[in-house]
Amino acid sequence: MTTTALTGYRKSPEASGRQHPLVRVLAWELRRFRASRLFWVQALGFFCLVLFVAWAQQTPDQYYFGPNLNGFVAGTSAWGLIQTLPPASLLLLGLLVPFVTADGVTRDLQRRTHELLMTTALPTWAYVWGRYLMGLLMSLGLDVLLLFAYLGMGLLLHLTVPDYPTPEIGNLLLIWVGMVVSATVLLSSVSFALGTVFPRQSLLVKFVIMLVWFVGAVILPAGFGNKTTPPAWYSAWDPTSAATAQRLLLPYRPDFAQDHVVTVTSDAQVQHTLLTLENRLPDLGAWFTPHLMEAGLSLLLVVLAAFMFQRFRNAFTG
Amino acid sequence: MELTIENLGKRYGRDFALRQLSLRCEPGMLGLVGPNGAGKTTLMRMLATLLDPTEGTIRWNGQDICAHGETLRQVLGYLPQEFGVYREFSGRQFLRYLAAMKGLPKAIGHRRVEEVLEIVQMAQMADHKLPIYSGGMKQRIGIAQALLNNPELLIVDEPTAGLDPAERVRFRNVLASLTSNRIILLSTHIISDVEAVASRLVILQEGQMLADTTPEALLASASGKVWSVTTDQATAQRLQAAYPVSTMVNQVGGVMLRLISATRPLEAAVVIDPSLEDAYLLATGQHAVLV
Repeated sequence: MTTTALTGYRKSPEASGRQHPLVRVLAWELRRFRASRLFWVQALGFFCLVLFVAWAQQTPDQYYFGPNLNGFVAGTSAWGLIQTLPPASLLLLGLLVPFVTADGVTRDLQRRTHELLMTTALPTWAYVWGRYLMGLLMSLGLDVLLLFAYLGMGLLLHLTVPDYPTPEIGNLLLIWVGMVVSATVLLSSVSFALGTVFPRQSLLVKFVIMLVWFVGAVILPAGFGNKTTPPAWYSAWDPTSAATAQRLLLPYRPDFAQDHVVTVTSDAQVQHTLLTLENRLPDLGAWFTPHLMEAGLSLLLVVLAAFMFQRFRNAFTG
Repeated sequence: MELTIENLGKRYGRDFALRQLSLRCEPGMLGLVGPNGAGKTTLMRMLATLLDPTEGTIRWNGQDICAHGETLRQVLGYLPQEFGVYREFSGRQFLRYLAAMKGLPKAIGHRRVEEVLEIVQMAQMADHKLPIYSGGMKQRIGIAQALLNNPELLIVDEPTAGLDPAERVRFRNVLASLTSNRIILLSTHIISDVEAVASRLVILQEGQMLADTTPEALLASASGKVWSVTTDQATAQRLQAAYPVSTMVNQVGGVMLRLISATRPLEAAVVIDPSLEDAYLLATGQHAVLV
């Protein structure tokens, strides 16, 4: 080690060019994740998985009315998406997001970088919000991958499967925002807030959130079955969108059964009728705003976590 | 610049890790020594604003750091006893990251990173990913990050742990070169580190201050109380039980002991010049045996 002199900076003119602390945290977190090979592998893995799910659910409903009279619902149509997203890709995302965001702050305690960071002049709020926003950004990145996977698979199926319709981008975007993005913001905020307030129980936090999401997306809707409709308030506010989907699907099936089938006489007519129905925009009024409100309100949990975050933390009793 | 500690205490449950500690520090290096569990790390972490005191106050230039922690953190350099790194980063990236977190503007941060890499002689390895670094190299990166903001208060907790002897000497020299116009608090249990660089010595034991002195004064207090004697195995064991022994070496002619006693412990014992380690053992009543 040598004795190179350290230059002063506090009064230098260059000292005025400081970045906003939140921008600093975000920029460097982004750089950190960009440098992580594991992160890119995980993102690619998620993309491939969703691509596979979209392919496997390309025709979630098939209708047979005789030997020469059948048709299918496209998985990337509005009908198909409402039917397949909540119990499959959105469920996967729900199980993954807590692992992306819950450790935003806790990871520093686990890696023992907490003390280095907490003794810098970085304001506490910038640290907590920077970490949250980075986690949210990554989760939304997964949402974008999901969107591209469905869009890409929809186009691929359109080119390769006869009668498979082109995905309606408007419908896809609305369902994506109302179901996927809102759920991601909610899950990110809850996971991050609980992980930050209970850093030593972060693994438990993640598993509890996963369990609750699984119960909400799979167990509870199964309890209603195919014949019972969930209450309107529950369908509107269900963050997993599983109960929402159960209610939203009602107008599609009866319309098809009662209004059209009796008049069609060929495959082409069945498929054309299905196409008209399946790309009909779902009723947004009842659930879209509540889902966005849930996402917005969940930010209050992050505000609370930022207030409760202890800079003075007895991290390593010694 | 001035660091003032008044009646500082920290309690974990019912036990005090530190109690009634008062100190006033001005530019220069203060060596903090004491046995394991003496409260050194607790004190360092309270000074670094990582722990809140149970009682008492810490003031930096007259301001209570519990209320104005951000003022101190602007000028603080801290090397914890144990720390982690981001595995995705190289040494240079990690330092640039911490420079940004310390609030250094980009251009200055980059320049400062090169300077501290030069100081710790890590410029050649700076672009390698951190996971491949040895313990000593990682420790040097830790030292480098503590210097990034040219700190007025530099707190280093067991900085030479994990360094080889040559690196330890080099590190002590770096610390010695930084003492002008800043306060350096060096916590260690390696007495020779303190002896080489600190002008002031504070000994902690069981959470309380045992001595606030200088290395010279501590040495003087042990003068005439350190003895050397070569004897048989049985007598050596009897002496070891009765007196603090700093060295015990098995030799061909018997066992050579270096022990501390106010009076001649054995007829054959001869008084010798004390080392700082002897003086420390005398002050703390500890036994340290090297065979």
